[in-house]
Amino acid sequence: MRLPLAASLVFTVACLIASVPVAAHHGTGVAYQPDKMITLKGTVTEWIWSNPHCGLLFDVTDDQGNVEHWGAELGNPHLLSAAGFSKDVLKPGDKITVTGHPSKSGAPRLEFNQVMLSDGRKLTTKGFKGNGEQADTDYEGR
Amino acid sequence: MRNRLLNVAVVLIALLASAGAAFPQTYGTSGYAPGAWKPEELPKELSRPKPFNAHDLSGVWSSPTRAGYFERHSLNDKWIDTKDRKVPPQMRSDASPPPMTDWGKAKFEANKVSYGPRAVEPELNNDPVSQCEPLGYPRDLWEANLRPFEFIQTPDRILQHMQYHDVWRTIWTDARALPKDPDPAWYGYAVGHWDGDTFVVESIGYDDRTWIDHFGNPHSDQMRLVERYQRVDKDTLKLDMTLTDPKTYTKPWVAETITFVSAKAAIFEEICSPSEEHRFNDKIRDTPAKESKR
Repeated sequence: MRLPLAASLVFTVACLIASVPVAAHHGTGVAYQPDKMITLKGTVTEWIWSNPHCGLLFDVTDDQGNVEHWGAELGNPHLLSAAGFSKDVLKPGDKITVTGHPSKSGAPRLEFNQVMLSDGRKLTTKGFKGNGEQADTDYEGR
Repeated sequence: MRNRLLNVAVVLIALLASAGAAFPQTYGTSGYAPGAWKPEELPKELSRPKPFNAHDLSGVWSSPTRAGYFERHSLNDKWIDTKDRKVPPQMRSDASPPPMTDWGKAKFEANKVSYGPRAVEPELNNDPVSQCEPLGYPRDLWEANLRPFEFIQTPDRILQHMQYHDVWRTIWTDARALPKDPDPAWYGYAVGHWDGDTFVVESIGYDDRTWIDHFGNPHSDQMRLVERYQRVDKDTLKLDMTLTDPKTYTKPWVAETITFVSAKAAIFEEICSPSEEHRFNDKIRDTPAKESKR
């Protein structure tokens, strides 16, 4: 399911040629594929607990031993706290399984949906609002 | 006769007690806050109902979230009907402002957005919020679908506390008029008064660097807002808003009635920290361009 390393390299080079990125953005949804979901097994390298967005960085190693650096976008800490996350729920070295919407560009980035922790516990942001309240189950927390 | 009266009193007390149990949330919040106070850590009295008072707007207010609910992101929102699942949710709605002046059109075109039909990749937008710049008003209000606001009433003002960016908007109720020629302010200057059961807020003096909404609709420093709030019951707040800005729009922008519902969780600190946001962008959102440099 993983996107090939070459594809993301092609994209990043194209990106550099085509644009001078301006810093910082909202509108995450436009960069991801809402109709697709992928699942990856990896190892946490960094857990970013910050306002107004949290992030998860993790490494995925393929059969040949190639490592690709992945990242996932998550919502605000309040939403995540309500959903069972905390600032120390993840730490570097943790083995995890992450599910999310892949980027349109092929870059190794996900719009987060769910993580399975090394102890088998599953945490999802689906069904939570940014104010920490529970919403309907089909509401994708962000 | 006395026994009969006593019986009636007992029944009334029992009814009131059961009504209290059935409506544990009355004025917005029991004070719990994910990441801080859990519901069981708070005194039970906090969730007891208070008598309804149409002239008390206090409480935490949020947009309702339910399946199929169309979130409000501007004075009005237009659903873009598409069955194409590849069109992400952020691009499936737009606002319908009144016709713009030439000045307004030029400002609108200069605003690069990541929502609605004009959405570009986040890397390419120039949305002030992307830099944690002030959202301004009324844009901060639309955040209520994710981040609520609260009203706090004092004898001489009503404070509107916005969760996102942790902003306090002051609405003066001490009978002062609006300032005649104020310096621009991100959240403007507001005065309010009661018209029957409706709290009317008039405001001016807005800094024209903010956007009205995430669709990039602009405003000038001549923008004037009239907001009419009505607490129709303990859990529902209605808002009618009219935006007048002759420099930007050829006629007033009259909003569709906006509904807010009382939220159970307390407002929490959600400051948009520029350094944290830059770190997030640097490590997550800007990565495609950065990775090739490694």
